[in-house]
Amino acid sequence: MTQNQQQNLLLSASGLHKRFGGITAVNNAQIDLHRGSITGLIGPNGAGKTTLFNLLSNFITPDRGEVIFDGKAINQLQSHHIAQKGMVRTFQVARVLSRLSVLENMLLAPQKQTGENFFQVWLGRKQIRKEEVENKEKAMLILESVGLAAKARDYAGALSGGQRKLLEMARVLMADPKLILLDEPAAGVNPTLIGQICEHITNWNKQGISFLIIEHNMDVIMSLCDRVWVLAEGSNLANGTPEEIQNNPEVLEAYLGVD
Amino acid sequence: MVGYFVSVTIFTALYALFSLGLNLQWGLTGLINFGHVAFMTIGAYVTVLLNIQGVPVIVAVAIGTVVAATLGLIIGTSTLRLREDYLAIVTIGVAELLRLIANNEQWPSPDGPIEGSFGLKDYLIPLADWDPNLWQKLIAIALLTIIAVFAMWQLWRGLKSQWKENQQIQDKSYRPRKPISLIIWGAIGTTLIVAIYINGTLALYDYYYRAGLMVLVLLVLALVYWGLEILVRSPWGRIIKAIREDEEIPRVLGKNVFWYKLQAFMLGGAIAGIAGAFYAWYLTTVYPSNFESIVTFYAWTIIILGGAGSNAGTLVGALIFSAYNEITRNLFVGGASLDALRIMIMGLIVMILMIWRPQGILGKKEELTLGK
Ligand SMILES: Nc1ncnc2c1ncn2[C@@H]1O[C@H](COP(=O)(O)OP(=O)(O)OP(=O)(O)O)[C@@H](O)[C@H]1O
Ligand SMILES: [Mg+2]
Repeated sequence: MTQNQQQNLLLSASGLHKRFGGITAVNNAQIDLHRGSITGLIGPNGAGKTTLFNLLSNFITPDRGEVIFDGKAINQLQSHHIAQKGMVRTFQVARVLSRLSVLENMLLAPQKQTGENFFQVWLGRKQIRKEEVENKEKAMLILESVGLAAKARDYAGALSGGQRKLLEMARVLMADPKLILLDEPAAGVNPTLIGQICEHITNWNKQGISFLIIEHNMDVIMSLCDRVWVLAEGSNLANGTPEEIQNNPEVLEAYLGVD
Repeated sequence: MVGYFVSVTIFTALYALFSLGLNLQWGLTGLINFGHVAFMTIGAYVTVLLNIQGVPVIVAVAIGTVVAATLGLIIGTSTLRLREDYLAIVTIGVAELLRLIANNEQWPSPDGPIEGSFGLKDYLIPLADWDPNLWQKLIAIALLTIIAVFAMWQLWRGLKSQWKENQQIQDKSYRPRKPISLIIWGAIGTTLIVAIYINGTLALYDYYYRAGLMVLVLLVLALVYWGLEILVRSPWGRIIKAIREDEEIPRVLGKNVFWYKLQAFMLGGAIAGIAGAFYAWYLTTVYPSNFESIVTFYAWTIIILGGAGSNAGTLVGALIFSAYNEITRNLFVGGASLDALRIMIMGLIVMILMIWRPQGILGKKEELTLGK
């Protein structure tokens, strides 16, 4: 790989390995992701995709392997540090802060808020108020775009399953990340909304955010992604453009179920 | 009678303070602390022991508070990374351990070392020997007035925000509190504040030896309450509430969950430490038996009664607890078995409340029906 290509990589993980007792969930897996790209990650149920996300974001410590994000090794960092560096993730089953309002869920996300520091709560009250106003405006804009603006003052725990997915995505966006890892954003979402989500993802991508998306819905993967990685039984099976993947006989056999 | 109510006010306020610390830890951050009394023990013993050694009382309290926070640091760093039930077990153990140390150690006293179980006495109680002149009395009354005005303002603010919420029920999945209940709450709150204020003024004017201590504890309570309300509404407070709801979410959003838990735990401990100093001054003699685990469970009762996570609810809970305590103390005059009965009845009341109003008195019912 040339120097130039290397600089173009936003995320590059190699040799990732994780065993749970007798199961090797992720086996020597590798994944590369270019700046500004939308990359897909597919594979059968239990292939180790979610586990790979957990390893990348250090929610689970890998047995071995290396993860380089934005030119720096991040395997030794704690998960909140990784998020601070600009790589944030969502969960396969959407998680919301039930007893906080939808708006408060959004306001939690921005990085480096003055009021997060105990002493600044007392010393920097003016600055905090200013940031809160700005963040609220931004949050309302994003909520508007995913159709949750009317729910802003309701409890997040009162949202439906699909709305929670949307809230989770919107919230991650508030953190101003460089890379968003989405775990099945379209699961349990109605077809029209899936179309809208795809549009949003394309839009956000144009604003400079890269995506790594796990998804079982092939239409979503094929329409969004520049590149697709296939995982089966914890190992890399193939990677390439959506067309290449669609026509790859091994993938067809292992995943798409065609022979 | 005035003197009696002054004592009750001090008792209520110090329990409110103590419980506010636990509310920060459990009600807001979700940390299960079954040994909250440990912080109180530390606060009381450090303050009293230092004071007996001749350290000025202000310095002694400050050190007591810092030591209580340090205890929080030690317990926190060792257990907060583990699963949450570890904290519950460790705290309960530490509380018992500290009480046993207090009981079995020999402590210094003016007449040489004494057994811990004999209790510590002859320490300075702030403002007990004060003999104020008219001006000083007026200044103290003015201070009490400021506290009362502050309390009224907080009450008003709370009711107003509830009222506003009532006006905008559109797009909400729940029904806020009804206007009539707001009026009732306003009336009860105002009556209580006025009653405490008038009683306090009388006690200050015709100086009762505990009146100064009462002003002090009310002042500290008001300051702590105010500080906590600011914290709860700040981004800092948002993070600890997020940790209570689901700590993985703040973690993916780049917040150092462990550090925030530790801060909340230490701060709650420090507040309980101050409450411990007031407890010692209230008791005038501290025995290790004053710091049994039941004290922790009083704080839990107070929070659950009032509504977990609500500072105002904690104050309401403390008032009810203290009222119950006084009423039954005067009704059930008798031995230890009646004492046990009082505690049993309290347990029964909490159980009935759990069925009738599981969210607590000031808690929000709609929060119970939310999916996780
Ligand atoms: N915390 C865990 N402990 C033990 N085993 C686990 C754990 N997490 C995952 N596994 C196992 O690792 C394997 C891969 O799981 P993973 O959740 O990564 O699959 P996936 O590719 O995300 O599947 P799906 O498409 O169904 O979400 C499975 O066999 C699973 O049972
Ligand atoms: Mg998965």
